[in-house]
Order: sequence, then structure tokens, then C-alpha cells
Amino acid sequence: MAHDGEALTGIGVLAGEAERYGHNLPLIDGNKSYHQVTEEVFAPTERHPPLRWWLALAVTLSMLGLGVWAATQTLTRGIGTWGLNRTVGWAFDITNFVFWVGIGHAGTLISAILFLFRQRWRTSINRAAEAMTLFAVMCAGTFPIIHMGRPWLAFWATPYPNSRGSLWVNFKSPLLWDVVAISTYFIISLTFWYIGLLPDLATQRDRAKTKLKRTILSIFSLGWNGSNRTWSRYETVYMLLAGLSTPLVVSVHTIVSMDFATSVIPGWHATIFPPYFVVGAVFSGFAMVLTLMIIARAVMGLKEYITTRHLEAMTKVVLATGMIVGMAYATEFFTAWYSGNPYERYVFLNRALGPYQWAYWTMVGCNVLSPQFFWFRKVRTTPWMIFILTIFVNIGMWFERFVIIVTSLHRDYLPSSWAMYRPTFIEVAILIGSFGLFFTLFLVFTRVLPMIAASEVKGVLKNVEH
Amino acid sequence: MSSTEPPHRSRFRASFADPEQLLGAVKHLRAAGHRVLDTYTPFPVHGMDEAMGLRPSRLPRACLAFAALGLAIAGGFQIWSSAIDYPLRTGGKPLLAIPAFIPVAFELTVLLAGLGVVASFFVAARMRPRLRVPDLHPGANDDQFILAAELGADIQFPAVARELMGLGATESSLLLDDRFQRGDSFWDRPAGIGALLLACLPAFLLLVSVPFLNRDFQKRNLAWDGGMGAPLSAQAYDASGVLPGGQVLQSPPPGTLSRRSEAPLAFAPGKAEAERAGRELQNPHQPTQARFNRGKLVYERVCATCHGREGDNNGSLIVARGAFAPTVLVSPVVRDMPDGRLFHIATFGGPTKMKGYGDLLSREDRWQVVLYIRELQKAAAKPAAVPAPAPATPTGAQP
Repeated sequence: MAHDGEALTGIGVLAGEAERYGHNLPLIDGNKSYHQVTEEVFAPTERHPPLRWWLALAVTLSMLGLGVWAATQTLTRGIGTWGLNRTVGWAFDITNFVFWVGIGHAGTLISAILFLFRQRWRTSINRAAEAMTLFAVMCAGTFPIIHMGRPWLAFWATPYPNSRGSLWVNFKSPLLWDVVAISTYFIISLTFWYIGLLPDLATQRDRAKTKLKRTILSIFSLGWNGSNRTWSRYETVYMLLAGLSTPLVVSVHTIVSMDFATSVIPGWHATIFPPYFVVGAVFSGFAMVLTLMIIARAVMGLKEYITTRHLEAMTKVVLATGMIVGMAYATEFFTAWYSGNPYERYVFLNRALGPYQWAYWTMVGCNVLSPQFFWFRKVRTTPWMIFILTIFVNIGMWFERFVIIVTSLHRDYLPSSWAMYRPTFIEVAILIGSFGLFFTLFLVFTRVLPMIAASEVKGVLKNVEH
Repeated sequence: MSSTEPPHRSRFRASFADPEQLLGAVKHLRAAGHRVLDTYTPFPVHGMDEAMGLRPSRLPRACLAFAALGLAIAGGFQIWSSAIDYPLRTGGKPLLAIPAFIPVAFELTVLLAGLGVVASFFVAARMRPRLRVPDLHPGANDDQFILAAELGADIQFPAVARELMGLGATESSLLLDDRFQRGDSFWDRPAGIGALLLACLPAFLLLVSVPFLNRDFQKRNLAWDGGMGAPLSAQAYDASGVLPGGQVLQSPPPGTLSRRSEAPLAFAPGKAEAERAGRELQNPHQPTQARFNRGKLVYERVCATCHGREGDNNGSLIVARGAFAPTVLVSPVVRDMPDGRLFHIATFGGPTKMKGYGDLLSREDRWQVVLYIRELQKAAAKPAAVPAPAPATPTGAQP
């Protein structure tokens, strides 16, 4: 509302101010027309996928198949197929669960928090990032369900009227908070994503060539016709959902961290956990968005939509959150020393110097050191370098959860209970399967729905601050 | 135009290639006395709400109402289920642990606010799956910026069309059909929002009132199905119309022995009964090495914590912690008690602090403990020819 288009282009003072804040840089390259945006964004959904797409799908489906086989083994033969023991009763599955939930957080952050902060560059990436959120939460949800051993009884985690006398779930348990938080997060993210899709579904409906496609899209686009009366309400709803999602996303990883922090295990029982986990989630999520976007923009010819300026903005988020994560690692050590608690001190010494030190130093190297390269502008604007570094960040963030979980558990108070944990092939296969699920869904998404929010991109084509 | 007035004023549309031109045209048409019905654009054109004179949406109020509903449901249900209906204490937390209820209450607040406001949006904007989209203008979802308006009084369309071309319109035409909605939809007006909330009210009241309903805690919860989940079971002391004696619980048949095969003791608790047991009961066991070992084991596990390993009151719990002193077993008072009386005390407890061990130790073990106490007394009496001095035990106090 500060100034309208004429003012920006016409008046020197305002134009100078705009330049200072980078407002005169176009967010989308190629000086496109509105129609060109429509054509280019919807093109992948309207042509037959190329051979390399089918090859990629074959790979991801194979990974998914391996995971389904491993999950079937787990469910038919029992949790004994995993490498858990009496001391480490919780390891690979919860690591993967926290990893995937964290990945999801970047999508909500981009779609909700950057929207509230009016970061208009988000328009090119929010659709794909939100889809990534949904797929990541689906992957995350499979792990606790498989871990139940009897997933057909998963509904026991919900408070439903039952015939067992007075019997309700324990609302004081963080594990139940987790069930509620993850379910809410999935439903609200799905809703937010769908609302954001509505205008594009209508465009897709108008362009549909076959009757079947047109019918399906008519059902899901809910009679959208671009009416300003609808747009007006739509924008209100979108902002409300963004406002609701912002505290929601913070609450979700806070609650995930409480699964650990409310216990009395040294290494888990720490008040720093909620902010530490939330920042770690944003860190890993942005890294994953970058990994995916760098592939997608190259493969699908979207370089003019997802420009190096977008990549650079995201790498700055990765750098900032990476340093906060590093700070959290240091704070944990300080707290352990300052607590004077010998068990607490031992856990952290053991983390850095014990039998799992390789995992700890992998984590520190990937999460604290590798983002430091983003101080260099050259690195921030070179996609292949970003790609390599973000892969490292993803590896590091997976190890962070592994380190927190396994090193805190494997040396119990009683030395007679000390044990080592190593995953079995079945557990690794389930992890591979979850990657297969994630990438399969993402590949299908890029061919079925517009990967870029065309209606939002059109709104920022001229990049004028209204 | 014929001389008769048409039922509605004529309507027309115009297309623009640029959102700023559309905005200018809308402002111009309204100033010229036309009624702009709506605009159709591929993205929201900022400033159009003001240009069209639309009021801000009331959807935030619906959102707030749904958020309050979510909070009330989550808060009420957690309090009722955790503190009233199923008061199970866990983790040393109070039953009404409000801080522990915050996460779920927050999540449900967000969930209902989000789903509620989206549902309200669909109702207000009349959005539903439609195979035929009303007022769909070609290009409106692509790159055209279109307005639909109603001619002002005494203005002819050709003049307006020329003006619109001057404002940058690429195309304009009269609309022959009468499909355009007028004004806000019902659901966007206060009455509509009120109706929506009113519709939610019964569910809201029902859920909020659940914790306060007067429940019969003898009954089962609401269940989805009866069948095997809720059999016709009877409590042991319920009356029965079919069973002998008119009661559910039946006596065992005559001659039944308990699984321990111990005939019931013909004694009751109390000092008089203890004295009678002293007169009437004999220790059925002779002191052998095996019985001595067993008695020692039982004594040291069970009795010694209070009475002391030597029976001298030097137990690890009571005296050492400054509490009351139990009876000294090696004192003359106890030495003079008959076996039957000690057995009675071991079974039913003493008259002061000691509890009975009849249901924890077998009868044989209790007799063996008595044998072992006798051995302790002999050992205590041996070194000194005189009886050991009894520390501050009130005279006549029973163990």
C-alpha cells in the first residue's frame, strides 16, 4: 500500500529507495507476459513426461518397494527384525520420524512466515515447498505407525468412545501431544496447500483438453472464476491460514522435542530442546527445498522462475539457522558442564569422544562447518555448489537426530546396561523406502499439478509494491 | 431499445490486458454512475476492493469463533476425561494438570480455526464442486482482466464502449443473460455469520456440557457397539433371580478344600483370643536344623527390620530412625509367653503397632519363626546367667 506502480517507476526518490531495497530487481527473469507464465507453468502437466522422468520414477518406485518389503517383514516377523535392545529401545525409526518432520517445516515457513513478512520472492517456490511438507509429513507418519508393531490398532492413539469402561488416552503424555500435533499439522498444511492451489486448478480446468481431466478439475476447483469478490475473501482466508500456520509450525517441532525433553534421560532433559529443534527443522527443511529446487529448475526448465536470487535468499536462511544450530550444540555442552551433574557431563563427553564419536563429528562437520561456505557470494549463487552443501546439511541433520537419540540412550546409568546399537538391513531399507515414497510423490506432483503458483507469480511479475 | 423498460438495466463487460487499466476503468465507471458488479482477474488486483466499494470480509470473525470452539472442546474434554471420567494418576502429576493440557488445546484451536474459516469461505463465496462454472469469462484465469457492470440510468451502451476503449479496453460487449449475482452473499452478511454460528451452537453446547452432566460412574462409557464388547455381566453380590440362594455369588460345594489346604484358624484377632491361643495351641513342629534354617531366613527377611537380627530391638528401620521401639523379643516378657500366643501375634498382629502376617507367611513358616525366636532367646540368655535387661518397654506391652 506504500506506493503504487506509477510512483515507483516515475518518481526518482521512490525509485532510488526501491533500488536500495532491491525492489527494482525483477523476481522473475525473462520479461514474461501473463500468458507466457500460464503456458510455461502448466506445460509440464500437459505434455507426456520425458524418458528421464520415467527412469527417475522407476528408481524411486524401486526404493519404495524395498521399503514396503521391509515394513512387511517388520510387521509379520515383529520388531525383533530391528537392531533395538533393552537399552536402546528407540533409535532408527524415531530418528527418521524427527528427520522427516523437520524437512516438512521449511514448506510451512516459506508459505506462511515469509508470506506474513511479505517476502515476495517466495511465490516461485511456495507451492513446491508446501507439497514437500505434505510428502515429508507422510513419510514421518509411517515410522511411528510401523513402530507400533500392530498398526491396525493405531486408532488407539485417539480418544474415541470405547467399550472398555472409562478409558481415555493420557493427555499429559508428550507422545499423545505428538499425535495431535502431527495430525493437525498435516491437515492444516494440506488445507493451506489446497486453498493456494484453487486459482491454478481453475486455470488448469480451463485449459483441460480431455473431458475426464476437465471433470476432475471442475470438482476440485470449486467453480472458481476469478471473481474479485472471491479473491477478496480468498486473500483474507489465505492470510488467516498463514497466521495460524506460523505458530502451528513452531508448536509442532516444539512438541516433537518434548518427546525427549520431558523425559529424565541425560542428554534429552534440556530446556533448550524446543528452540533447538525448531531451528534445526528450518535448517534441514530449507536445505531440502534447495536440493529439490536445484534439480527441478534444471530438469524442468524453470530457471527463469527459480532464479539464483531465490537460491541465494534461501542459502542465507541456511547459513543463519546453521549457525544457530551450532550455537545450540555449544550451549548443550556448556549446560552439561555448568549443571555439575556427572551423568549429564558424561553423556556429552561420551557423545563427542565415545564410541559414536564418528556420528557426532559427522554432524558437526555437516551442520556447523559446511554452511560456512555460504559466506561467499560465489558459493551462494552457484547451483552445483549449493546442491553439494545442502546434501551435506541433510546428512548432518539426519545424524543430529541419531546422535541425540542413540548416544543419550546407549550408556544407561548402570554400566551393566550399556549397549551398542546398530541398524539392521530391515531398518535401513525402511529409511530408503521413505525416501522412495517422498520422491515418488514429488515426481508425480510435478507432472500432475502446477509446480509453481502461477497466480501468485503473475501478481509479482512487475514487482511493484502495492 | 424498445420503449418498454427491460426488467433489469442492461449489463455489459469489458476486457483489459493490464490490471492498472482495469482498476482505472472500475473507478471511472462507478464515478459515472454505473454499477460495477464484479471483476474477474487471474490474480487479486490490489486496490480493487476499495475501487469496487467492497467492505472488508468478516471471515476473521468466523475464524475467531471456530478457534474459541476448538479451545473449548479441547479444554473441556481434556479436563473431563483426565480428571473426572478417568482419573488415572500418571507421572506424579495432578489429575487436573492444566499446563499439560496446553499443547493439545493449542493444536485443536488451530485445527478448528483453520478448517472452520475455510468452510466459512466456501459457504460465503458459494464454492462447491461445479461442472458448469457460473460467470466464467475466457481468459479470466489466464491473462485477461475483465469487469462486468450494469448501465447507469439513461446511458446508452455505445457511449460507454467508446469510453472503455479510451481507457484501454481490448474488447467490450453487452451481456444478454442475467446471471450476475448482486451484492454480498447471504453468508457474508452479519445474519449469515450469525446463522452459521447458531448452527454450530447445539454441538458446541453439547460438547461443553459433557463434563458437567451428572454421570453414573457405575455405567460404561458410550460405546459404538454392544455385542461382545458389553456382555450381560453380573457382580458377585448382585441379586439373582435364577441362581440358588437368590445371589450371584455361590458358596463352594460342601467338603471343598482351599488350595493351601489349611483349615481355617479357630481364632479371631485381639488380646483375649491371643491368650486363648496361648493356652490351646502347641507348636506342631520339632526344632530341626532345616526348620531352624527356614525360620532364620523368614525372620531375617520379615521380622528383623523392626525387631533386630538378634531380637534385641536393634533393627535397621524403626529404632535407628528414631521412631517407636518395638517389643524386645529376647526380653523375659516374651520368653514367658507360650508358643501359641506368639503364633497368634505373628498371624493377627500385636495390640499396638505390629501388623498381622497371616496372609503373607504360610502357617508353617509362622510356626518356624516361633521356633527361631525361641533359639534367639536361648542364645541371649546363655552368656549372662541373668536375663537380659529389657530396655524401655512399657510393662505388659505386647509385641
